[in-house]
Amino acid sequence: MQHTFIEILRRALDEELARDPAVHLLGEDVAAGGAFGVTRGLAQKHGSTRVRNTPISEAAITGLATGAALCGLKPVLEIMFIDFATLSMDCLVNQTAKYRYMSGGQLAVPLVVRTQAGAAGGAAAQHSQSLEAWFIHVPGLIVVAPSTPAEAYGLLKSAIRLGEPVLFIEHKRLYTMKEELAEGAELPPIGRSRIARAGTDVTVIAYSAMVQSALEAAQKLADAGISAEVIDLRTLVPLDMATIAASVSKTHRALIAHEAVRNGGVGAEIAARIGAELFDELDAPVLRVGCGFAPIPFAPELERALLPGSADLVRAVRRIMGLADKTRE
Amino acid sequence: MPLVAQKIPKVGLVMEDVKIVRWFKNVGDHVAAGEPLLEVETEKSVVEIEAAATGRLTQILVQVDSRAVVGDRVAWIEAAGAPVAARDGERIRSTPVARKLAAERGIDLGGIAGTGPGGRVQLDDVQRAIGAPRTPAPAAPALSPMRRALARAMTTSHATIPQFTVARSVDWTELQFLGREFGARLADGAPRLSVNDFLLLAVARALMEFPALNATFSGDPDSDDARIVQASGAHIGLVVAIDNGLLVPVIHDVERFGLAEIARRRLDCVERGLKGRLKREEVDGATFSISNLGAQGPDRFTAIINPPQSAILAVGRLRDCVVPRDGAIVVRPQSDLTLTVDHRVADGRLASQFLARLIAILESRDWRLE
Repeated sequence: MQHTFIEILRRALDEELARDPAVHLLGEDVAAGGAFGVTRGLAQKHGSTRVRNTPISEAAITGLATGAALCGLKPVLEIMFIDFATLSMDCLVNQTAKYRYMSGGQLAVPLVVRTQAGAAGGAAAQHSQSLEAWFIHVPGLIVVAPSTPAEAYGLLKSAIRLGEPVLFIEHKRLYTMKEELAEGAELPPIGRSRIARAGTDVTVIAYSAMVQSALEAAQKLADAGISAEVIDLRTLVPLDMATIAASVSKTHRALIAHEAVRNGGVGAEIAARIGAELFDELDAPVLRVGCGFAPIPFAPELERALLPGSADLVRAVRRIMGLADKTRE
Repeated sequence: MPLVAQKIPKVGLVMEDVKIVRWFKNVGDHVAAGEPLLEVETEKSVVEIEAAATGRLTQILVQVDSRAVVGDRVAWIEAAGAPVAARDGERIRSTPVARKLAAERGIDLGGIAGTGPGGRVQLDDVQRAIGAPRTPAPAAPALSPMRRALARAMTTSHATIPQFTVARSVDWTELQFLGREFGARLADGAPRLSVNDFLLLAVARALMEFPALNATFSGDPDSDDARIVQASGAHIGLVVAIDNGLLVPVIHDVERFGLAEIARRRLDCVERGLKGRLKREEVDGATFSISNLGAQGPDRFTAIINPPQSAILAVGRLRDCVVPRDGAIVVRPQSDLTLTVDHRVADGRLASQFLARLIAILESRDWRLE
């Protein structure tokens, strides 16, 4: 039986609420199901104390959730659209991420901040961004970005049980993706990436929805005789450099792909680390695929034109392989 | 003045390998980008290849009648304002992993044609230059002394001994009955009898009746020194499988002993063999070996003679077989025996007579325990 990303997130939250009385859900409209219906029915089942609506004030509710976590609860806060996590930034960066360090380990903030990122068609410049790079810059925050419904199920549960501040980024375009959930599967550990597809010629490193584009690209490349290995990072902090190193040492070529703008993105960080740590393994420059340096347009045609997709990945891999670019339109 | 590499471009679908037919220009001539520079012959046709840049042809790397593959650098053109140069003075464009491999193998990058962008020398180019496979296989560990000895012996056997096989089934009914009877008569603490003890004694008795087979071949068949040397007693090797190898302890003068003594000697030399404590004479001097892969073994198999011996008996697993007996169908415990013989020592008729006699002994009630 296949379930959507939304249904599987709801099931994970439902099970964690039932498993641990310290788990609470907070956020704008979450008692009514939230903007995307992820939490639908959970307030009726677990009570409006544990599934609680908040005012539309991200700064205040991030402080509320952080305080609740400091006092022993395990809140799961929904920030509706990562675009508005900007309003949470002061608390997340200066308070949430710092308590464990500044208290000498006496305090912990077991808080999961769920938020939606990415462009999903016509949500325009203020509701379509991918802003994860800002958060990977902050020591003390864990950043998770699942690529499929089943991955999201395991990673959300692992995040709730981790006992650290976690930013859990859900891509809106994945919300309708369906997948079967393997019953009783082990929960993926936070900080370990996975090989989404094995290959020998080039390593494509991706996360979130871009893993799906990478798999599509790998299939097209396979038809052209190029074997691409796809790494699904799962977590951006901590970064599983060991898996990247093992793969790049095998393929000698690397491409990093994300939907966020290329400039100053996660890809820049990974490319720099590959350059520094795997220099002698490289047989080609490390390339990045990302969004052009522009706001996401409202017009769907323009949005499609700007966003990176599998064709961009195929083109970049062909460049890495030193092949003539036949796919240029 | 930057240098531009003139490379063999891909023309058509499958042009991989070409022969240079002629150069239209000589070294020192001026060439213009796009004008024909050389002519190559492919499998299907003769193709003109255009100059990659405008400038002076400074070096021809692949001469007429020589072969090249797509991507090979065949000449250098010294060009003004060329966008990229594979060679920047002494520095050669190359990737880090290509440099690492070239340094490891002591190869000069300057002698390698780079096929990457701008003539960059890549891993593939270095691997092609050293003739290495694209993905080198992990280094295999050195052989253990036992594996080496085994490899040497089996190679010698297969290369120098012409071997043939004969096979027949043996019926264990009588022997199973006797085994139980003898087992009850064994002294307390005496080793239990194994089917191998019956096999050892039966082979020993058959060898004494067929002295022509109880022999080894020595010398070069082409020379007058070639001899078939008969043994005085029945010296029989028993193949014992161990982790990653084989032991073949030899029991000497088997024909002199009863089953109880054979069992004692077999157990003793196998146990010491497993501990690596066999003396030289305890692994030498046999003319014949027995290889029994046991109850989990195959139905039948062919063994290779252990030189300088001249025969080996391969014993298939014991299994219930449907057999015709006196006009009726009965189920009997049987094994297939496959005898491999050195054809220089014995011929098919002798081998089949020996095997028939061996089976008659194994199916008889005529055994001695002591």
